[in-house]
Amino acid sequence: MSVEIVIQNDWAEKYRPKTFKDLIGNKKAIHELRLWAEEWEKGVPEKKAVILYGTAGIGKTSSAAVLAAEMGWEYVEMNAGDQRTADVIERIAGMASKTTTLFSHEVDEDGKKSSGRRLIVLDEADNLHGTYDKGGSKAIADVIDKTTQPILLIANDVYGITQTIRSKSMEIEFSRIQTRSLVPVLTKICQNEGITAAESAILKIAENAGGDVRSAINDLQAVTVGKTEIADEDIVISGRDVKETIFKALVKVFKGHHRSDALDAVKTLDETPEDLILWVDENLPIQFPNQSSDGKSANGINPDVANGYQVLSKADLYLGRVRRRQTYRMWRYAGFMTTVGPMSVRSKDYSGFIKYTSPSKWKRMGQSRSVRNMRDNIAVKISARHGKSMRVSRNEIIPYYRKLMENEEYAIALAGESDFDMDELVYLLKAKSATKKVQSVYEKSRFIADAKRPAEPEFFKTPESEKRSTVAAADKNQLTLEEITKKSEEKKAEEEQAAAKTEEKPKNQKSLFDF
Amino acid sequence: MREEIWVEKYRPMTLDDVFGQEATVERLKSYVRSGNLPHLLFTGPPGVGKTASSVSIAREMFGEFWSENFTELNASDERGIDVVRNKIKTFAKTAPIGGASFKIIFLDEADALTNDAQSALRRTMEKYSGNCRFILSCNYSSKIIEPIQSRCAIYRFRSLTDDAISERVKFIAEKESLTITEDGLKALVYVAGGDMRKAVNSLQAAAFIQKDIDEETIYKITATARPEDVLDLIQTALAGEFKNARDKLNVLVFEQGLSADDVMNQVYRALFKIEDLSDAEMIQLIDAVGEIDFRITEGANERIQLEALIAHFALLRRKEKE
Ligand SMILES: Nc1ncnc2c1ncn2[C@@H]1O[C@H](COP(=O)(O)OP(=O)(O)OP(=O)(O)O)[C@@H](O)[C@H]1O
Ligand SMILES: Nc1ncnc2c1ncn2[C@@H]1O[C@H](COP(=O)(O)OP(=O)(O)OP(=O)(O)O)[C@@H](O)[C@H]1O
Ligand SMILES: [Mg+2]
Ligand SMILES: [Mg+2]
Repeated sequence: MSVEIVIQNDWAEKYRPKTFKDLIGNKKAIHELRLWAEEWEKGVPEKKAVILYGTAGIGKTSSAAVLAAEMGWEYVEMNAGDQRTADVIERIAGMASKTTTLFSHEVDEDGKKSSGRRLIVLDEADNLHGTYDKGGSKAIADVIDKTTQPILLIANDVYGITQTIRSKSMEIEFSRIQTRSLVPVLTKICQNEGITAAESAILKIAENAGGDVRSAINDLQAVTVGKTEIADEDIVISGRDVKETIFKALVKVFKGHHRSDALDAVKTLDETPEDLILWVDENLPIQFPNQSSDGKSANGINPDVANGYQVLSKADLYLGRVRRRQTYRMWRYAGFMTTVGPMSVRSKDYSGFIKYTSPSKWKRMGQSRSVRNMRDNIAVKISARHGKSMRVSRNEIIPYYRKLMENEEYAIALAGESDFDMDELVYLLKAKSATKKVQSVYEKSRFIADAKRPAEPEFFKTPESEKRSTVAAADKNQLTLEEITKKSEEKKAEEEQAAAKTEEKPKNQKSLFDF
Repeated sequence: MREEIWVEKYRPMTLDDVFGQEATVERLKSYVRSGNLPHLLFTGPPGVGKTASSVSIAREMFGEFWSENFTELNASDERGIDVVRNKIKTFAKTAPIGGASFKIIFLDEADALTNDAQSALRRTMEKYSGNCRFILSCNYSSKIIEPIQSRCAIYRFRSLTDDAISERVKFIAEKESLTITEDGLKALVYVAGGDMRKAVNSLQAAAFIQKDIDEETIYKITATARPEDVLDLIQTALAGEFKNARDKLNVLVFEQGLSADDVMNQVYRALFKIEDLSDAEMIQLIDAVGEIDFRITEGANERIQLEALIAHFALLRRKEKE
């Protein structure tokens, strides 16, 4: 059989930016990033790590790769597809952050300077897993403290990164790309691929992408497949129209006169009732403003709003039942009430267009992910200690701990016993950040934690000491990064096999939101 | 010989066998013709052809080697973050077989993947895209995290139209040498409610009893009441005639053997057919149905709950009139 050559057919990958010139938008962010990199050429900057964060498909991962290439730095990446326990991070990122490449300070064939630096990229840093990536966050913080090499973290949700890491890093936000910047990119791809495209067709794709370059490229590839020419009417993109269609549906919900119209509009949305209710909640008071008889805005509450909330409150009740008992059949009642509720309580038509607003990110998430992650981490430790399920630990024991830990003595004891780290203590001690008090509890608890460690029952013992010695040996023998990675992958396979037995099965959430 | 299950026997082998999703199927066919495929996200209600289309794509693209180059993971498999990190990554890394230029990983019920597992897919989808394409299938795309949506071309599968369902049913009936009356077909379409899996299953169940299928057989075998009867029950209750309504309910439950769930589903559907209800009345009625539906799951005696529902209906309208 002949050797397969991988041909890049995925346009988003094929057209991944190779230089800073290729990257569109986010000029300021990229400038800041380059300044930070320049600092590394002179010495060690104040912030040794940088966090690039923002929504999907806007050039974060690409910028990291381009930065390394332009600086002539070696590129080492870990992402959410890799296991990232404290140990793995120490082994890979930790090692990489200490040793420099072999031939430092040479000039490579392109004449680019090569300082022998190595850029350590932790992609998808917002998704460290409570159980599988145990201790990962703390290890990253440690690596940042010790590193002699630039570290770059990438995240969609910056709040998913612990406060400790954030305080040690410079944060750079990437924003969605404007439609008019997207158009030239798409046009160029068309030229390259030999496709004649109507300008309006390109514009439509660009508008639809919601500022996400990758989506735009994917949609372009989807509509042009098997064609050499695309016109306006070829553009039927089924996906990404979320915002637009939800606004259209909301018009029917708040201003419509026929419930079947509203129900149909909502049905084609394919938002869960849980998401939909947040949109209606956000817009109800705005869409039904309190007006006096002369049409001016007035103080007090509009009875239509109050009545609307009565219906939403009922809808929420059904959502609660779904959540508690997994009876997805109840979704349809919640969905119906959310959709028809506003028109059913409306005492009059509200004239004039009032802009619809999106529910804030916080509300959509329910809670910040980092708090949720943190609670999961704490729950893991507690459930190991008390032999209770994660759920019981999270819902029942954690609140109890927080109460007990109001007393400093208990706080120190419990922190030591369970080996809570600083971030976890911030949460448990109800502090806003790592205050002096938190630090002092942490310091004092170390005696207990350290004393306790060797006495841990066999079952909970991680083969920590063993692994440490591997790293030490690696140091001596100057193993290459590849070898270390390979070793760690072997270990990882074993560990994950063991861990697989304990993970909860994901629930099968079949839906019945069928009007 | 044990009879094969028809949804399997008549599982579409090619994209042409996938009925009622014309626009989507047209696009998918051009992928096959071009020999290339982006990552895909299929979203839509159950039983409308998402899995069937995915398998058809693989068959048409890879021919005899399709099963070697196609891997399916569904929710019954372990699909935590560890599986994404190990099994999926390993499959994604290894080369395709038989001269294919890539392989396909099909993740059924992708909305049941934890957020963490979805996150772990992000770079994997990019890094190995030269080697491997993902098709994700789900009922709600809003349960798929944005970065994954960004990496896919998204296709919405619609609930199937009455025509698409009857066409497929007629096709299968002919193959199986069944006759089906016009009313029987209508009944089957009603029972299916846009879900082809349900339609085919019901047809097979009916064929088990007799080869000449009419509406009677369909309603009986699927324990479904005639929509007219349910509507009549509701109207009677809303007219305040509790005793009459209760008798009609008894017929459905005792004579026709409907479970409380069946009754609730049909009552829910029938309410939408009543034109002269105001929005506010409709909300009240739906709330009553929802409340009783909940109590049925909690209570001991379904019949009491159903009676409470029609009694409530009877009272509601009377209050309105006063
Ligand atoms: N600013 C940009 N300029 C040009 N192309 C871009 C840009 N951003 C994204 N793209 C295109 O989208 C693809 C994905 O971009 P990239 O991996 O950098 O996104 P990301 O911001 O890391 O997204 P995610 O958060 O989903 O990982 C690139 O390969 C490229 O084709
Ligand atoms: N559009 C269709 N045309 C022909 N047959 C279909 C169609 N949709 C479903 N079927 C029949 O129903 C069976 C189940 O369909 P399929 O597995 O594709 O559903 P699905 O959309 O993946 O549903 P789920 O969301 O439950 O996974 C198929 O084996 C086939 O027999
Ligand atoms: Mg990325
Ligand atoms: Mg399926």
